Amino acid sequence: MSRLITAIFIFLVLNSCQKENITVGTNVTETFYLDNNGASMRILVEGNTSGKTFLIFVHGGPGTGSYFYNTDYISQNIENKYAAVYWDQRNAGASQGNSNGDDLNLPRMTDDLKKVIQLIKYRYGDDAGIFILGHSFGGLLTASFMTTGDNQSLVKGWIFADGSHNYPLNDSLTRQKLLSVGQKQIDLNKNTDKWKAIIEYCNLHTGNFTFEESNQLYSYATDAETYFEKVEKINLSTLLSEDPVKFDWPITSILFNLNYSSNANFNRDLANTEFSSRLGIVTTPTLLLYGKYDFICPGGLEEDVYNRINTKDKKLATSPISGHNIMWQDESFFCKEVNAFIEQYK
Amino acid sequence: MKIQKFCLTIAILAYTTFCFAQSVDSVSIVRKSSNLVLSYNSSLIYPGARMGVEFPVKTIYITSINRSGKRRDFTKDRFVTSNISWYHHPAYHDNLYFTAGWTMRRTKAKGFFTEFSPEVGISRTFTGGTTYQVDNNGNVTRKRLAGYYYALISVGGGIGYDFSKTRQKPFLIFSKFNILMMFPYNSTIYLRPAIEIGLIYKPSNFLSFNVKSKCLNK
Repeated sequence: MSRLITAIFIFLVLNSCQKENITVGTNVTETFYLDNNGASMRILVEGNTSGKTFLIFVHGGPGTGSYFYNTDYISQNIENKYAAVYWDQRNAGASQGNSNGDDLNLPRMTDDLKKVIQLIKYRYGDDAGIFILGHSFGGLLTASFMTTGDNQSLVKGWIFADGSHNYPLNDSLTRQKLLSVGQKQIDLNKNTDKWKAIIEYCNLHTGNFTFEESNQLYSYATDAETYFEKVEKINLSTLLSEDPVKFDWPITSILFNLNYSSNANFNRDLANTEFSSRLGIVTTPTLLLYGKYDFICPGGLEEDVYNRINTKDKKLATSPISGHNIMWQDESFFCKEVNAFIEQYK
Repeated sequence: MKIQKFCLTIAILAYTTFCFAQSVDSVSIVRKSSNLVLSYNSSLIYPGARMGVEFPVKTIYITSINRSGKRRDFTKDRFVTSNISWYHHPAYHDNLYFTAGWTMRRTKAKGFFTEFSPEVGISRTFTGGTTYQVDNNGNVTRKRLAGYYYALISVGGGIGYDFSKTRQKPFLIFSKFNILMMFPYNSTIYLRPAIEIGLIYKPSNFLSFNVKSKCLNK
């Protein structure tokens, strides 16, 4: 008898964790999961769901997770007006699964994003207005989404922040920017030794980049923005300083997922991936944001998107103090531009 | 070379034989009860619980006398353990796991003990929120009791006090630090630290076994 009671108790406790709660309000926090092809992906909805406008953060990486995007500043300046949706992609953040490495690829992730949007509409109503915001690798994923089938009809706006939609072009632009800015810095006698090493590498590697060359350019680009004092330095430890205990971050899951995804084989496939040639079909309003000091995804990428999409409802805006992480390095600029865009097209 | 290896082997054997001589005073078979374990199984700040049984395998009573002539008595117990554990991590998952292990406990005459216990088992997680599936036509369904099975390895070490040694009370208190490793977790592993604080009850007769009991003088 006591065994039966224990079993029932455990069942009820565990089942209660998965009870469906859908809240409409101005200060909502709710977590649910999307199960798709071997991955259970965490989705956190925070902020004002009563306005039925949702901004989905499509994080970078691959594998970074969405926890880092949920900052106090965004809570106070975006979530008070709209609902922010923090989605952990497969093999990222708190997303869970077994041996699902074979499903870690761009078509599968594009399908995941579509289903996240369908799930938001299921929970909060078909009239929910959805905006997607792709950062860094999230730019590639959102570009894939926007240029696949009729997906763009599901969203009211596309925000592209320090993103990349074309990795080969990305490598060329990174190299060019490292060369031009590096030479100017040497002329100004700033960090001369470091820039000389970068310029030497760029002069030896001129195009048709291998995966290893691409990684080396990424590494130099990551370092380059730290050579400018006005750019706030962002690294894993600063991101982890957001009080992970208070917000129940599963830290080891975040770190092991990041390590796996950033070293997974599909990164080699991504090295040759581009969506420039398909951007002509995009007719959705688009906001393009980039940092002046972003060497990882230089502004030329946003300009390429701007020139190729087939809509007049588009804006290109540059932060004068930001590097690759505009939402953390120039928070006020980021929130102001995002809010204005959503307000215009919601 | 062969000669060197042979000499080295002889030297090691001689060293262990003469320098750590142990004389087995007595070997007997005694009937011993299994122990019941109940603990708070906190994954640092997240709540959890753990219940288990320790099945006795062997007990060695050791008396040693050091160079200054001081006598030290202690006991080494060996148990096979079986446990059911659970922790709750909000918005992430609940984890229910079953393990079997091997516990090595060394208890001093005054009752203080240290222990080390490797375990293997199976884990079933339950995702920390309503879980949905969306089919290719956009139809949404709820997935009940969503979660995953993982293989689990746990290694832990702890300290405690055995009240039966000095106060004839049939229980022990302990605190233990465990590291859980689950796999395959997203094609990689998942590590989680867990701290246990609990009680071990020694019933006089519960699932009793015949156990080899040795007395050693070092």
